[in-house]
Amino acid sequence: MSVDIYKINPEFRDIMPQEIIDLEENATWAGESVEKRGINDLTDKKEILEEHSLCAGCPEAAALRYILAALPLPEETIIVNSTGCTSLMFPHIALHTVHSMFGNQNAVASGIKRTLDWRFPDKTKDVVVLAGDGATIDIGLDYTLQSFFRQEKITTICFDNEVYANTGGQESGSTPKGQVFKMAPKGKVFDKVPMWELAVTSGVAYSVKLTASAPKKVAKVLRESILIAREIGPTYIHLYTPCILEIGLAANEGLWEMKEQDKDRFDDFKYVSDEAADYLKKCKKEGLL
Amino acid sequence: MYYVAKVNSEMCSTFKCNMCTLYCPEANTLMYDKENKTSWVDEDRCKGCAICVYVCSDLLNRDCIEMAMVTPDE
Repeated sequence: MSVDIYKINPEFRDIMPQEIIDLEENATWAGESVEKRGINDLTDKKEILEEHSLCAGCPEAAALRYILAALPLPEETIIVNSTGCTSLMFPHIALHTVHSMFGNQNAVASGIKRTLDWRFPDKTKDVVVLAGDGATIDIGLDYTLQSFFRQEKITTICFDNEVYANTGGQESGSTPKGQVFKMAPKGKVFDKVPMWELAVTSGVAYSVKLTASAPKKVAKVLRESILIAREIGPTYIHLYTPCILEIGLAANEGLWEMKEQDKDRFDDFKYVSDEAADYLKKCKKEGLL
Repeated sequence: MYYVAKVNSEMCSTFKCNMCTLYCPEANTLMYDKENKTSWVDEDRCKGCAICVYVCSDLLNRDCIEMAMVTPDE
């Protein structure tokens, strides 16, 4: 893979849609550009995401914009995805993505990462897992934790909306205690699964819990976690992206909800192993961060 | 008829903040024009969620964006 695959054949240029031409002319890639790509590209550059089909005002879509804008090497990145609302966005992304079966995204990503390391030993390849809380915490908990135990060098991102939103609102392991949904009328009996702590226990080098209310913070966390995953070991990001439909908010209230939860269930949690902290300091000196 | 966001460019260009462009959940919809120092909306892509209005009016107190009803050209 290289940025060349986004170059348009001159013979076909006149029949290409404007969006594809923009992708070649105005999108930011890491390849030949001197400037570091980042969250500020969202203001006037072409994004890698195009006209997704998520609901109006969905915080998950905003979070995905931040993540795609902050990827340090998009043309060398493979995103592995699982079933859920997130999978609706993946056909609209101009990167290599793999849709795995529900829950086994970390197993698939492990295989891809190992094969890429064997096939391209001199190149940097990033493998990122991006799935919802159902895939990461309920159905795929086994695969997720096993990939941490095996110290696979991949970044796992969980978009936690605390519900199976796509199928009408069933409770998930990530739902907080007492929460009522359309398909869970009795309210949840158990506590929310503290996946960010399980990740630390399972041996990740970097585990962060945050909401998508601060774009620059999300971008920084993503960049750090990808750099650590390249050299040290698995990294985990737990990102709160509420489902405004299922918790009964209006389209413009998603950001407010995330800001509220910044102080409550999603207050700051950040674990960086000693080895990873040293590596981050080194990256900062080299100007990678 | 549907709702889209409309930016008051004259007021917007006095602030040069481009915060709304970061918070819009749609890709390449709310963009920043560096030459004229104002945000602008691609109305064909806007889903009318009004998060930009929340950011501009409620968080920043700048009131440069409002929602408006538009009718698509036939």
